[in-house]
Amino acid sequence: MWTVGPLSFAAPWALIALGTLPMLWWLLRVVPPAPRSLAFPAIRLLMGLETAQRTAARTPWWLVLLRFVLAALVIASVAHPLLDAAPAAAGGGPLLLAIDDGWAAAKQWPQRRVLIDNLLAQAERDRRPVILLPTAPPPDGGQVSASKLLPAGDARSIAQAIEPHPWSTDHAAALRALDAVPHGPPMRVVWLSDGLEDGAADGFANQLRSYGRLEVARPAPLATAKVIMPPRADAAELTPKIRRAVFAPAEQVSVRAADEAGRTLARETLDLPAGAEEAELRLPMPTELRNRVARLEIEGESTAGAVALLDDRFKRRPVGLIDDQSDGAVPLLDDLFYVDRALAPFAELRRASVPDLLKRELSLAIMGDQGSLPADDQAALRHWVEGGGVLVRLAGPKLALHPDELLPVRLRGGGGRVLGGAMSWTKPMALALMPESGPFAGLSVPPDLRITAQVLAEPAIDLNDKTWARLEDGTPLVTGAPIGKGWLVLIHTTVWPAWSDLGLSGLFPQMMQRLLGLSQGVAGHVADRPLAPVDLLDGFGRLVSPAGAVEAIPANTQTVPLGPRHPPGLYGDEQGRRALNLGPEIAKLTLLTTPTGASVIELGAQAKERDLQPPLLAAALLVLLADMLTVLGLRGLLRRRSTAAVLLTAIFLGGLPQPGHADDDLGLKAALDTRLAYVATGDAQIDDTSRAGLAGLSQVLIRRTTTMLGEPMAVDVEHDPLAMFPLLYWPVTGHQSPLAPAARDRVNEFMRHGGMILFDTRDGGGGNSEALRQLTQGLDIPPLTAVTEDHVLTRSFYLLREMPGRSAGGAVYVQQGGDAANDNVSPVVIGGNDRAAAWAVDRRGQFLYAAVPGGEQQREMAYRFGVNLVMYALTGSYKADQVHLPAIMERLKR
Amino acid sequence: MSERPPLSSLHAEELAAQLPPLLVEAERVAATVTQGTHGRRRTGSGDNFWQFRRYQQGDAATTIDWRQSAKSDPLYIRETEWAAAQSVWLWADPSASMRWRSRDGLPQKYDRAALLALALAALLVRGGERVSLLGGSAPPSSGRPALLRLAATMAAQTGNAGLPDVPMPRSSHAVLISDFLLPLDAVDTALRRWAGMGVRGHVLHLLDPAEESLPYQGRVRFSGLEGEGELLVAQAEGLRDAYAQRLANHRAGLAAIARSVGWSFAVHHTNTPPRTALIALHSALARP
Repeated sequence: MWTVGPLSFAAPWALIALGTLPMLWWLLRVVPPAPRSLAFPAIRLLMGLETAQRTAARTPWWLVLLRFVLAALVIASVAHPLLDAAPAAAGGGPLLLAIDDGWAAAKQWPQRRVLIDNLLAQAERDRRPVILLPTAPPPDGGQVSASKLLPAGDARSIAQAIEPHPWSTDHAAALRALDAVPHGPPMRVVWLSDGLEDGAADGFANQLRSYGRLEVARPAPLATAKVIMPPRADAAELTPKIRRAVFAPAEQVSVRAADEAGRTLARETLDLPAGAEEAELRLPMPTELRNRVARLEIEGESTAGAVALLDDRFKRRPVGLIDDQSDGAVPLLDDLFYVDRALAPFAELRRASVPDLLKRELSLAIMGDQGSLPADDQAALRHWVEGGGVLVRLAGPKLALHPDELLPVRLRGGGGRVLGGAMSWTKPMALALMPESGPFAGLSVPPDLRITAQVLAEPAIDLNDKTWARLEDGTPLVTGAPIGKGWLVLIHTTVWPAWSDLGLSGLFPQMMQRLLGLSQGVAGHVADRPLAPVDLLDGFGRLVSPAGAVEAIPANTQTVPLGPRHPPGLYGDEQGRRALNLGPEIAKLTLLTTPTGASVIELGAQAKERDLQPPLLAAALLVLLADMLTVLGLRGLLRRRSTAAVLLTAIFLGGLPQPGHADDDLGLKAALDTRLAYVATGDAQIDDTSRAGLAGLSQVLIRRTTTMLGEPMAVDVEHDPLAMFPLLYWPVTGHQSPLAPAARDRVNEFMRHGGMILFDTRDGGGGNSEALRQLTQGLDIPPLTAVTEDHVLTRSFYLLREMPGRSAGGAVYVQQGGDAANDNVSPVVIGGNDRAAAWAVDRRGQFLYAAVPGGEQQREMAYRFGVNLVMYALTGSYKADQVHLPAIMERLKR
Repeated sequence: MSERPPLSSLHAEELAAQLPPLLVEAERVAATVTQGTHGRRRTGSGDNFWQFRRYQQGDAATTIDWRQSAKSDPLYIRETEWAAAQSVWLWADPSASMRWRSRDGLPQKYDRAALLALALAALLVRGGERVSLLGGSAPPSSGRPALLRLAATMAAQTGNAGLPDVPMPRSSHAVLISDFLLPLDAVDTALRRWAGMGVRGHVLHLLDPAEESLPYQGRVRFSGLEGEGELLVAQAEGLRDAYAQRLANHRAGLAAIARSVGWSFAVHHTNTPPRTALIALHSALARP
């Protein structure tokens, strides 16, 4: 090792070769490069000509310089230069490296990593064997143990995997582990300490010293890790405590509150006065923000101890919106839309059907005007309310007509009361002041709020007690009644503006908040069931998935010892979560006193050692390439195009584009052009016929209409996305198995959102319905009816009287009536005339199958049906207007 | 035309396949030259009307133009313009030194020579002349078939150096297009022999611009295309002046030979458009 400033050479003798460079210079100057070769027709005229200048052919000076640099680079890289290398250590024994890898070591871990790398690189150069001793219990639940004598190279790969753990070091166990390390020649002993005393650190240091001269790497006092204590769950504000090791200087700590997605909700700084061991921080926050806080962390410290996770005890109350999803909800015309807007800042909202909602814990449920629920849902809801839930129901036309049992008061049947309007003497009515006794006490009523219709409660003795808000004339507007531990609440009007201005007024959000306050929180308590780990903190305070020897927290446990079995993090299930934090575990932080006789390495003072050999070799290779290109150029063997090709190949060889996902490719292909598609049956002949048929139909459509269709595609209904296709041709072979549930859902989805499927039983009408029934098992096939003469399908492009395929006769079935959401377009068309065969043409445009019995006339009709069908699928039912044309004309005449 | 493969004798057929484009190109170039300078401008046997002349004793009665004579008292004779067909012998040097270009983007010298010869032939055929390829087997003929045959023969020709030693009929024209990188003696002998037969001719000295300027630098190993051997030059740029001098001498020699037998002499480079050379050749031919 030979050192010049920050640069040192591992093999300095190689530098002697630099002395040969002048010889190289001389050699290169004398040997000229090979001449260019040229064909030249007029060579006869050149023969015998003498050059005027008679200078010897020489290698150009810059080429000599290039080769000079190349030789110098190779020699320098053989000498293995290192930047910022640590000087060689004295003593020949092995290196004993004790590494604190507890939570506190996560602070300044990059600096520790640099130090470890430097030490091991040095050991590798000195050919010292290495003993590694991590002092925290390993995550697999084993004992703290020292490694065997390892070659430095192997030790380096093991050390690469050492990461700080989210639990404390155990120096007592490490001391026991040292028993297995034999005493021998004096070792180099280095201890990477986290700077904290755990009671046994002193003895550990003494034992280490017995192996050789001890070097301790420790962080500066101000850089020692701190912990944050989680706040009390029942306090009005979040008040985390910061604890640090006792020492003099004052410092400022800033604490960040973040939600589950990691967004910062609040940030406060705290002054820790000189000498203070801990201090409490107040985080004043609005309720809705406070509810969203998922973690508190000390900024600038990425350790497990600097993070306090907050669990459900701090959480807001979950609200469920009961949504049976029967009809597409239209914003502004939907009660739940207003509820959503009113409660979204304060509560966690879930919108689902009753069974889905009740699967998880719920504080408040809100049910819009959606008609009566199925009996079992109703029973489940009642059971939940009796268990402590609050159910808020919103009235509306459906409830007015069909009042059910799940109400706080009996409703008068036969519709509601209408105030105002053309046929009424009354005027829309305002609200009376809120009763002092109800939950809405003290809310001010906006004077311009008007109610135009409501449902009426049947008079009863206790009606007055159940009334929480009323109209000016005293009729109840909000009624509530306790059932079991919970409440049933009914708002007697709509929230959306059909019956009242309630949803538009500022009163409504306040009322919803009061109702939310009525509900119970999801209480956090000692669970009566084991809690499985959900998300755990790693050594750097990041949430990761559980791995290693992590076990569930046993049932009915108050305190849990933290360690490899139970690392800090979130435990629990959908019923509730429990946060396990490192803070409360650490009673006191004490600064490590440097062991006597040990030299101290300051952490962070080391620059990372850099090996200059690889970059030098790479540079030499580049220079070699440049030299080759130059020589080729000098000899005229280099063409511009081939050079560019070589360079481009070299540049792009590393970054070849990854092939796209097959699904994306199919989606892209299908989406870029409008295409017809057929369902691949697996029967090659039928699939070919389908493809040829749709190709023929596409050609006819392109020729006769303005539709521009791409090549038809085969679709695998089990796997491929369907949404891009307007029409799916689905031949029924009788050998197809019913769809898998996932595929069935997708096909249903396709039909529900405007897709159309043409099922073809290919049997000349009738029959085969057994195969069709089997195939479509579980699909949402609507009630069907035969196409009559006034159906849109008979006039969407051509006026049709018959709809043959390859065979004639047999009816075509479509949805009975229509679905307004789909423009009254039937999602299925079912027929049996093997239409693809009638449409099929080969590449030369020849028809593949004969149409019987009608011949070409019948084929033309089949094409016309196909055109009509595609038009129907693409343009919907606007041609249906024509169906009424005779009636309209008749009326106009009158 | 510039995208042709390097030639060898085996490539002749391949070249023949490209003939129509060559012919089309030639006719395109020919179309830029306006026809009309080629009449004999005197009375003679021909189809075109030249003038009416009063009947004189001795004129054949069949030559009287009765329609014109009926308009007035004297008798008139209809005279036509003399349109004697020439036979023109074209020669585009097919030797290996012609199959060369100094850089991409330029046509090979032979391509240009063939283009010029064909274009000239197209013009001549249009004027009713008879054309043939010097060194080819076919006798001079006229019409489009002659053009096609000419093109086919030209494409199939491969090179031996030197002017062909074939006789030409009296009072025919010869058009020689070549780089004339030959010993001047050989050129002199050939031209004198033809001149002795009463052949009039035109010499077009066709060179690549690189042959004119010798734009090379540094150490270069030159090799000839016709087996002249190799020549290693230490500094090509040093030869430039001497080479230019030699080329000028060579050209002066060529011009002197042409002048001495009464033939015309012109220079053409492949980097200039073919049209100027074509017009020069055509007007030289039209001169009586």
